[in-house]
Amino acid sequence: MRRRTGLAWANLSYERRRLLTAIAGVSFAVLLMFIFRGFENALIDSQIQLLKLLNGDIILVSKLKQNMFVPEQFARRRLYQAQAYEGVEAAYPLYTTTAYWKNPQTKRIRPLRVLAFNPTDPVLPLSGIIAHQRELQLPWTALLDARSRPEVGPVEAGIVTEVAEQQVKLVGTFVLGTDFASGNGNLVMSDQNFLRYFGNLGPDEDRRDLNTVDVGLLNVRAGEDIDRLAQTLRERLPEDVNVFTKTQFMQQERDYWQNNTSIGFVFSLLATMSFIVGIILVYQILYTDVAEHWAEYATLKAMGYSNTYLLWIVIQEAMILAVIGFLPGLIISAGLYQLTASATGLLMKLTVTRVLNLWIATLLMCLISGAIAVRKVQATDPAEVFGT
Amino acid sequence: MVRSTLLNSMTETDHSVQIRQLNYFFGQADLRKQVLFDINLDLPKGQIVIMTGPSGSGKTTLLTLIGALRTVQSGSLKVLNHELVGMRKADLVEVRRNIGFIFQAHNLFESLTASQNVEMAIELLNEWGNKRSKAVDVLTQLGLADRVDYKPAALSGGQKQRVAIARALVNHPALILADEPTAALDKKSGREVVTLMQKLAQQEGRTILMVTHDNRILDVADRIITLVDGRLETDETLDNFVEAHDPKALDRRMFIM
Ligand SMILES: Nc1ncnc2c1ncn2[C@@H]1O[C@H](COP(=O)(O)OP(=O)(O)OP(=O)(O)O)[C@@H](O)[C@H]1O
Ligand SMILES: [Mg+2]
Repeated sequence: MRRRTGLAWANLSYERRRLLTAIAGVSFAVLLMFIFRGFENALIDSQIQLLKLLNGDIILVSKLKQNMFVPEQFARRRLYQAQAYEGVEAAYPLYTTTAYWKNPQTKRIRPLRVLAFNPTDPVLPLSGIIAHQRELQLPWTALLDARSRPEVGPVEAGIVTEVAEQQVKLVGTFVLGTDFASGNGNLVMSDQNFLRYFGNLGPDEDRRDLNTVDVGLLNVRAGEDIDRLAQTLRERLPEDVNVFTKTQFMQQERDYWQNNTSIGFVFSLLATMSFIVGIILVYQILYTDVAEHWAEYATLKAMGYSNTYLLWIVIQEAMILAVIGFLPGLIISAGLYQLTASATGLLMKLTVTRVLNLWIATLLMCLISGAIAVRKVQATDPAEVFGT
Repeated sequence: MVRSTLLNSMTETDHSVQIRQLNYFFGQADLRKQVLFDINLDLPKGQIVIMTGPSGSGKTTLLTLIGALRTVQSGSLKVLNHELVGMRKADLVEVRRNIGFIFQAHNLFESLTASQNVEMAIELLNEWGNKRSKAVDVLTQLGLADRVDYKPAALSGGQKQRVAIARALVNHPALILADEPTAALDKKSGREVVTLMQKLAQQEGRTILMVTHDNRILDVADRIITLVDGRLETDETLDNFVEAHDPKALDRRMFIM
């Protein structure tokens, strides 16, 4: 049985308070990395969560609609034209606009995104929407996103309030979540109600009808080559529409947020800074251990222990700190993810990949600190412990 | 390789240490300063040798050279049949494993128990199974049977130094090098510690080279050597030493520093 004396753990744990500080430091760095990575991905993932749920293999949007923020429409005719192509099974229009919602309790007005379509079309096949297909067809009714921001007030069926300064009755709820373009939440209504609310607005306002579509969804027959069909449509349809496969459409939206905004940069910078702060913290702890015990370490060298062994001790200390610092950091992050998700409706997902990536980052963080700290041990001259 | 060439030349294999024309310098170029001059010294096996001399005379330096803790520049320095002059650092580490070091400070890990501190030395020999019982044995011999699982913070100065001695002796090193091992101890513990070292050395035939300023413990020595300004001044048996130095003169010499 080879059981080495656990010098690394003994030295780390001997000073309780320092150990706790070390664990807290590593956990904090881990927590920061999780939060920043989480926000970055949440912000970007949130932007495409609606797109992901839309029931279309091929998406048509106006040439001018560079991202979901741009309120540009295209002629509904294009959808009919597309539908005529071999392989296109169905074409559904989706109408969107921003509307003002009155919080039934505070009476405050808040912008919401309206998603309107024919309730009998499977445009956004969410359980809450499918369940209320029938009620949606009644005039002046709508469904409200249960993940709307708290500012919109209570979200439950039966609430009567105003949207676009006209009465609306909530006939149910569904679960989607907010993004940058959605304002405080999402409101789903039938295309007929869309016309009722937004068809009679004054000329200065954004008056809408059903002849211009925000997003067109094409369902492709099973077995059809979607990429090729999209390519054909792209070539044949007039220039005023852009044709994407759903994957391309989501990717374009993702790229837009990642590249045209500072989200990616800012959050990567913050995560990197947390990483560096972690290195400095762990280095401090390991260096203190080495500096305070240099005579003992030098004695080990005099006894015949090699530099490699001492390196191994410090590396072990680094890895122990990584392990026991990572777990609390992970657990607290999981809690904060949940909190953030329920408070903001952002998609804060603790994916296995992210946990693994950040575990590797933590290990790396501790090992780098260890590698810097160990130079002090290696430099200790065993001859110096004599006569001191 | 080192060993084979040595075996031929080492006719006096009953010597633990054999030093010929050893010079040692600290620093480089303009700052180069010689601290040891033409040292010639043989330490036969089983002898207890005390080294004295004024402060700064080079005692510690000589001890670290014999202990393979510094690379040696010139002359010949044979320790336990290894020629240390010109030896690579990695080989020096190997030689050290056969030497027991006792320092003025105990240098025990505060986080480890007495037994664990001693076990750290045993692990160097890749002995795992009975390391605990070996550690307990040697601690018992040093009168610490009831303290094996105490951490240094709970031990007295003398007890800590005895643990350090246990650590130095547990592997039965053929050579023991001690630099003022009693300096941090009161008179009584100092005496105890030295007597223990003497007992163990005599039982097992170990060579001990001990630097000390403490003339109350000179009686354990078979031989006393004196280093002055980097030169070996006198080399005498205990009796001669005591005869040649009247106690007052000796005291004066010891406390000049
Ligand atoms: N690392 C070093 N670098 C340069 N000079 C040194 C070094 N160590 C010791 N010296 C010098 O070498 C000389 C001998 O020192 P050494 O420590 O061997 O003396 P010592 O006899 O052990 O003295 P003491 O009785 O005070 O312990 C001294 O002049 C000292 O200043
Ligand atoms: Mg000295």
